[in-house]
Amino acid sequence: MSRWRSVWLVAKREILERGRSRGFLFSVAFTTLLVIGSFVVPTLLFGDKDTKTIGVVQPAPPDLDTALTATAGRVDQKISVVPYDDAGAAQAALSEGHVDAVLAVPADLTAAGTLHFAKEPDQAITQIASGAVVSLRVQQVLTDANVDQAALTAAQQVPTVQSLDPQTEADQARFLFANIGAVLILIGIFSFGFTVLTGVIEEKQSRVVEVVLSTVRPRDLLMGKVLGIGILGLVQLLVFVVAAMAAATLTRRFTLPETTPGAILMLTIWFVLGYALYSTALGFLGALASRLEEASNASTPVTMIAMVSYFVAIFAVINDPSGIVARIATFIPASAPFVVPLRAAFDAISPVEIVISIVITVAAIWVLFTIGARVYAGAVLQTGGRMKIRDAWRSAVG
Amino acid sequence: MLEIDDLAKRYGSVVALDGATFTARPGRIVGFLGPNGAGKTTTMRCIFGLVEADRGQVRWKGGPVDRETRLRFGYMPEQRGLYPRMRVLEQVSYFAQQHGLTARAADDAGRRWLDRMGLADRAKSKLEELSHGNQQRVQLTVALAHEPELLVLDEPFSGLDPLGIATMTEVLQDRARSGVGVVFSSHQLDLVEDVCEDVVIIARGRVVAAGAIEELKSRSGRRHLEVEVVGSDGTWLDGDGSLTVLEHDRDRVKLLVSDSVDLDALLQRARAAGEVRTFAYQPPKLSELFMEAVTPSSDGDGAEPAAEVPS
Repeated sequence: MSRWRSVWLVAKREILERGRSRGFLFSVAFTTLLVIGSFVVPTLLFGDKDTKTIGVVQPAPPDLDTALTATAGRVDQKISVVPYDDAGAAQAALSEGHVDAVLAVPADLTAAGTLHFAKEPDQAITQIASGAVVSLRVQQVLTDANVDQAALTAAQQVPTVQSLDPQTEADQARFLFANIGAVLILIGIFSFGFTVLTGVIEEKQSRVVEVVLSTVRPRDLLMGKVLGIGILGLVQLLVFVVAAMAAATLTRRFTLPETTPGAILMLTIWFVLGYALYSTALGFLGALASRLEEASNASTPVTMIAMVSYFVAIFAVINDPSGIVARIATFIPASAPFVVPLRAAFDAISPVEIVISIVITVAAIWVLFTIGARVYAGAVLQTGGRMKIRDAWRSAVG
Repeated sequence: MLEIDDLAKRYGSVVALDGATFTARPGRIVGFLGPNGAGKTTTMRCIFGLVEADRGQVRWKGGPVDRETRLRFGYMPEQRGLYPRMRVLEQVSYFAQQHGLTARAADDAGRRWLDRMGLADRAKSKLEELSHGNQQRVQLTVALAHEPELLVLDEPFSGLDPLGIATMTEVLQDRARSGVGVVFSSHQLDLVEDVCEDVVIIARGRVVAAGAIEELKSRSGRRHLEVEVVGSDGTWLDGDGSLTVLEHDRDRVKLLVSDSVDLDALLQRARAAGEVRTFAYQPPKLSELFMEAVTPSSDGDGAEPAAEVPS
């Protein structure tokens, strides 16, 4: 029988046993709900609040609607204007919450009128209404005084807005992608890497490992375990990404930048590499422990490295994606999975750097796996207390 | 044929195996005996490549044992263990597939063997839901389902009730009849005497006795002679220092004699003392052969004292 079939059987067992477990299904359902909820709930709660509704008591000045909309547009607000036949109807609508404010201005603009709120005055509406009414009344005074209309229109021009370094919506989306990506990779490493760790210890503790190893090579067992649990992790990642994109698109919270497919590809590649690197390390450290209680103890060095790498990524690299720290961290296997997708999201890394980083990380995974498999082979049949890496290496079956 | 050839293994200063050599023939049940720490488990682990011997070789049908060969072996380790939360049939099928069976063949074999073990109705249960005895049966099923050519079982009878012992015996004998080589270790020597044709006795990492039980018995110079002379109270023996009395219970005495003893002369002496109701000349029991074999001989072979082997 080929080794690959043996590896695949181990992986398939992990996928079927864990994939069907309530824990896994619950965590997939939970994260999916969380993602969709984080998009849908704000829309439900605050979605309508984007547009402010102003009730206008009739008769009102004929240009009031236009003036309100124009002023609102200048301060980047959307409003809708609802006419009411008399003040009583408008007040009723206000107290029932159909409108956010009621504006009553005499049709001939002889007075500035009144702006009613149900409770706390809304700053934005106050500014919009004030601006509109003042501009209409000034315009009327000036028109009555026979001021040149063209000059008047020119005088009402607002300054042109320009930014030195305009932040587009795509930039914001990138920033969000980069942050979410780093968190996802960290969560992936921790939850699925730890599944490998506890899986190894459980096999050792239940002593099934002796039966398994009578036919499966230790390194094939470790590889199959990492592979099977990794596939589950990837499934969960993809469910997460698809749910997030679907929710984002459907609720129109923000438009997906053009770089989305590339960012997702980066995220997937580095999720896989980061998981493979860290779960291999956790897997063989798990073999050195003999009880589940020792798991967190055994894994401390690896979790420390992962946390440091993550913080380097989200502080140093987000701050300066092309800086010296970012460049160095790109070529260190432990930090590359966090740093490279971040830098890629900011477009601050060249394809050559990405390729070199991938090559280094894959090489590191291979080295770690070769060493890890040997330590695993030596340690996995030992029971009774924690084992030293050196002893495990020595007692390994070649 | 399984050949264990000059296996040696040290764990630090502890000698686990010190040149162990024996063979197990197909179709024969071999009892693998020895005191705790004698090297039984280490030998079995060497057969399955779980422990790398410092010296020596394991051969199957004349060739060295590799992974492909081991796929045709079945193993039941002393430290029982299966996946607690995996369903019984899936578990048996998984291990059968790891031994090279296709998924379908493994499922079929799993069902057939579970049925045979009386566990057909538990096929879909999780292992941890089964009683201890039934978990043992599943463990045996895992060793059997891929129809191995060699079965190696470490203490298969320990912890079994009489019913379980009967099932286990029946299965092992049935496997041997269909040409499978069976090697199992046990401390229950009476059971071994019933079940096995051959025994290998190991002590301090070396094989101290091996062969067919009957042959070992007849080869042994020791014989038991049980004599009951009515009303004699055993006095007819008095004055004969050449006889070793093992037991003396009123009229009945049990003697240890050599196989060259003059039985006629003894019988005449007994008759002279009274009515002889019993006069039984027997080879020693396996447990006595065992004790004799594992007790360090006075001439001393330089073997280091056996210590506990880490498992």
